[in-house]
Amino acid sequence: MQSFLNWLDARTDYRQLLAPIRNRVLPAGPRWAYSTASCLLWLFIIQLVTGLLLMLSYSPSTTTAWASVHFIEQSAAGHFLRGVHHFASHALIILCGVHVVRVLLARAFQAPRELLWVTGLLLFPLMLLWAISGNPLSGGLKGVSQIEVEGHIIGSTPWVGPIIQRILIGGEEVGHLTLTHLYFLHVGLLPLLVIGLLLFHIGQVYRHGLSVAELGGPHDDVSHWSAPNLTNLAAAHPLAMMPPRLKYFPHQTVRNMTVLTVVFGIVAAIAWQHGAPLDAPADPTLPHTPRPEWYFRSLFELRRYFTGDWEFVATIIIPAAVLGFFVLFPMLDRKCSPRVSAVLRVLVVLCGVGTWGGLTGMSYLRDWKDAEYIASSVEVDALSARARELADRSLLPPEGAITLLRDDPKTQGPLLFARHCASCHSHVDASGRGLVASEPSAPNLHGFGTAEWISGTLDPQRIASAHYFGKTKFAEGDMVSKVKELFDGIEEVEAVKMRDDLKLVAQALSTEAALPRAAAAGHDAQAPIVAGRELLSGRLSCTDCHRFHDKGELGSAPDLTGYGSREWLLGMIGNPQHERFYSGDRNDRMPAFAEDTEHPERNLLSRRELNLLVDWLRSDWYEPPMTSVPAKPRNPILAGN
Amino acid sequence: MRRRTLLKWVSGCLGALCASVVGIPGVSFVLQALRKSGSDVDRVRRVARLKDLPIGKPVAVPIVGAREDAWTVHPDEVLGRVWLVKRPSDAKDGAEPTAQVAAFSATCPHLGCAVQHDAKENRFLCPCHRAIFGLDGERVVAKKGSQKNPSPRAMDLLDCRLVTDKTTQEVWVEVTFQKFEQGLTKKVLKA
Repeated sequence: MQSFLNWLDARTDYRQLLAPIRNRVLPAGPRWAYSTASCLLWLFIIQLVTGLLLMLSYSPSTTTAWASVHFIEQSAAGHFLRGVHHFASHALIILCGVHVVRVLLARAFQAPRELLWVTGLLLFPLMLLWAISGNPLSGGLKGVSQIEVEGHIIGSTPWVGPIIQRILIGGEEVGHLTLTHLYFLHVGLLPLLVIGLLLFHIGQVYRHGLSVAELGGPHDDVSHWSAPNLTNLAAAHPLAMMPPRLKYFPHQTVRNMTVLTVVFGIVAAIAWQHGAPLDAPADPTLPHTPRPEWYFRSLFELRRYFTGDWEFVATIIIPAAVLGFFVLFPMLDRKCSPRVSAVLRVLVVLCGVGTWGGLTGMSYLRDWKDAEYIASSVEVDALSARARELADRSLLPPEGAITLLRDDPKTQGPLLFARHCASCHSHVDASGRGLVASEPSAPNLHGFGTAEWISGTLDPQRIASAHYFGKTKFAEGDMVSKVKELFDGIEEVEAVKMRDDLKLVAQALSTEAALPRAAAAGHDAQAPIVAGRELLSGRLSCTDCHRFHDKGELGSAPDLTGYGSREWLLGMIGNPQHERFYSGDRNDRMPAFAEDTEHPERNLLSRRELNLLVDWLRSDWYEPPMTSVPAKPRNPILAGN
Repeated sequence: MRRRTLLKWVSGCLGALCASVVGIPGVSFVLQALRKSGSDVDRVRRVARLKDLPIGKPVAVPIVGAREDAWTVHPDEVLGRVWLVKRPSDAKDGAEPTAQVAAFSATCPHLGCAVQHDAKENRFLCPCHRAIFGLDGERVVAKKGSQKNPSPRAMDLLDCRLVTDKTTQEVWVEVTFQKFEQGLTKKVLKA
């Protein structure tokens, strides 16, 4: 081995190239505090490695982004790598902040280290930009709506704003080009810029060594430093005379690696445990309340105080002024005596961290108290879980992940019901949960077609209640009087018998609906159904008014053939005035939602929407097989975006 | 001119020429994003039947059309939503019947989130930064002394008229769907 290295060195001179690193000396000895720099560098390298690996399977476009990320999540390794990439980005930002504070407190920005200070400060916003260019790449609801809002923030900056916005978004609206542009920034331009600045930054560290202040030496006036001193600070400094002088490697290195192991250990543990979040595929038609990442919460809060044309003060001017202040801080500091400088620097750190923390805290507190926001977050979490559930079921169609929730009755049903039905109909279960009509004037449709629902229409107490036909004109109709008649003047024994008979009828009718849940629950035993059918067309003479298969006539009451089935509901909602349902003036205010077959675009509901609504009413949607481990409830606010 | 100066000058020019051969198409490629997309906006659409609209309670209708996204076209996409507000018809006699319905773009003029209806207060609310608008689309300040309204302008009013269908004789609401720049005090059509 040694001979190979000698051979290599003879040809490449690598030992001399590495000499500055191998022979680096820390005049004041190794310190734990120095580790922030090295930890940042290693996290950066971890980001490069995990990012490169994720590129193997990631595909940026609105049709493929979410699908490819979900594909990555399918493998344990992909899940872990993406988790590390996600959480390490947060760790990088935190450490960047810690590093800047440390350098500020150590007064390590003094001449000749100004460029070190400036490049470090520039790396911080670049790092943030890098992070926010990565968040939307998953094609998820939160990331995409974040970039939309961020685009508008840039766009509302005077003069150049709209142009930068267009270039960032890749056009007028978020689409394929937004993702390719962000991808270009995230894996192309920003890494090049960051690597360039970082190399310069590290080069400066080696050129200037550690600062006088960091060495713990006297705070001399720096103006007497001459050029040779600058290149070899250690030699010029009194401490340099003090033996023993420990080399950076391995005395500082072991501290660096310990800190890195702790930080990366935390990152890896969270990544292993939780993985990076993947919310529902972005879809502008889904309700959503976007919030920025935690590191932008302070600006989000600040923006509340600058409205209208002044908004760019909060979004551009103040952040730029803060950055400018820090860049120019060494000039201010130079004018101060060491004691004043120390007080000033502590004050700057306290004010900075205090203001940032205060604004951030206020923003979270506001959301914490905002019931609507919490409800919206819970809803988005539910949508996200549903999207993953559906995507786990089978591979995705070529149109991409957006179809998952768009074609899902469980997701679209409540939205369609709320938009089109809930002004009259409620859809609430026995415990009162669900969609409540704004002015209930029609039956509650929860469980429509089930034996339980139907038995309510055959119960003299319930049929005329607000839950059924109480608020319609049928409250005074033939059906209500007929059901009441059944129990008129009969003995208690007969009433019990009658109730049993009606139960059979309800059961027989509910099999007409062929509800998938009922079939799964085994509610289709044959004997009672046959008995119920016979009662229906026989003794109870329902077929005097209703048609039921080959008995009875259409025209005076709704058809009971296939009652509550998919086809029946499609017809009923499409056009309730059809002779199968409530023809002529028997219909009570129910609009026809899809009567015009020649001009489907004129209907209130498209064919697709109607299908989704009907499937939802019939609880006909995919449910994954029960898993033994229940999903952990996530805190909607702390879970982040 | 000295030979040395000329050589420096020539190499500089040749370098600049080569750089511009990449640079000019490079810049124009980046600026492609500024071109207008061919999405199906600015078209008049029938959005609702007048009789289906409740009075004084806003109804959101989707605007469906073809949306072009770089290399794909989505033929039936929801391009945006429009809030329709039907006013009580006790307007002065002789008033235009179109004045009965107002159509507002559901895109918040602040930063483009979807404006929602706050059923409790019967007004519009943008959940992103809590911009509040009345049913007339004008900005509302929630409480005296409380937070200012973040929106720079009122909700964007869209062109809207009533038409009678020739075959069914039903009255329909027609809306011209347009998009406006966000974050400006003036209503500027998206270029």
